[in-house]
Amino acid sequence: MTRMQHLPALQADVDVLAGADEATRLDGLPSWDSLAVLLVISHFEHVHKVEISGAQVRACRTVGDLLALIPLRS
Amino acid sequence: MHSSLSNIRLAGLAVSTGSVVRDFMADGLARGIDRGQLERIAKTVGLRERRIAAPGVTALDLCEDATRRLLAEMALDATSIDAVIFVTQTPDYSQPNNASLLHGRLGLSKSAAAFDLALGCSGWVYGLQQAALLCAHGGAARVLLCAGDTLSRLTHPGDRSTDPLFGDAGSATLVERTGHAAPFHFVLGADGQGSSAIMVPQGGARQAPGAAPLAEITDSEGNVRHAANLAMNGAEVFNFTLREVPSAVGAVMRLAGYTAETADALVLHQANRFMLSTLAKKCGFTAEKTPMAVVERFGNQSSASIPCALIDGLVDRLEREPLKIVACGFGVGLSWGAFAGVIGPLTVAPLRSFPA
Repeated sequence: MTRMQHLPALQADVDVLAGADEATRLDGLPSWDSLAVLLVISHFEHVHKVEISGAQVRACRTVGDLLALIPLRS
Repeated sequence: MHSSLSNIRLAGLAVSTGSVVRDFMADGLARGIDRGQLERIAKTVGLRERRIAAPGVTALDLCEDATRRLLAEMALDATSIDAVIFVTQTPDYSQPNNASLLHGRLGLSKSAAAFDLALGCSGWVYGLQQAALLCAHGGAARVLLCAGDTLSRLTHPGDRSTDPLFGDAGSATLVERTGHAAPFHFVLGADGQGSSAIMVPQGGARQAPGAAPLAEITDSEGNVRHAANLAMNGAEVFNFTLREVPSAVGAVMRLAGYTAETADALVLHQANRFMLSTLAKKCGFTAEKTPMAVVERFGNQSSASIPCALIDGLVDRLEREPLKIVACGFGVGLSWGAFAGVIGPLTVAPLRSFPA
């Protein structure tokens, strides 16, 4: 499974990513905020069983950067 | 730290909340925040309204009211109390402690011990462990545990990461020594390396009040605060909670021999609905067994939130039958405390605001 194939599941859990693609810039999303960061952390914990930090999420510029945090084994 | 303490029971419970109702949507709209954004946060995090203390009312006042109502409900004299433990991070003064002030207000016996515990959202479980210890091994027959805070006073109105979250409340819990009760089990822990995740930098000895000017800073998300305000790194706290709470709950249930199926309820610190539903799932509990309504109606009440959730979600059953309760508080420190034991039947004073 490629990382891009995980995007629909991520979008289902993180509402502000609806309609986004790999190149979408996170700081261009109107509701990209601390709540969205929590939703991303929660998604990774539930779906991919990995703990990612808020700093890791905030360092991402695009949706593709978020997807790159997914471990390859997933 | 794991401990199991026998021959004790939880005899009574009361909570007094702040009397000023703050509406999340109305407050947000008044500050010019987009309605859609507010609705999204309200739905996901579970913010609707909260109750904060009226001007001049402190955690000490709220806990005193809860205690007086509980003692009246149980027809007990305050002089029968052997010790008072006061859990708070918002004491009336840096000295003397709140427990001594309450000791004086209630007219407790001079042989009654009085001390504070400086803890927040994990504090009720820590305090319950100390009260149980005093009853089981410390020569006390009846211990009053008060837990409460007025955290709404510590937040900056321009900080959306903290200001809409907190309600103010004070609780009173009576713990008694008894001859034949199943043990209370506790798992207490801390991760001091994460202590900066929830912090009020100014106000203690390291940075005394007035030692530095209260210059406002604005973070990358536009939240405004100064050094005497409560600052919280929500993502770090969320990670800490997901990492530590399920394992603490699992450990205390193993001590008690409970499972998610045999326990009657999982009562968590009422941080926010998103965190509660996430934790309930990770701990294997259904939403029906996990009270979550307190935070939407009263806000995050710090150390008073578990007793408030016990009353709000389970009062009818607790007044008439024994329930296998699992509870866990988590927060500032970072620290956590998990409890498992049989609670009930017990006396509950009705939940009410103060002043009424």
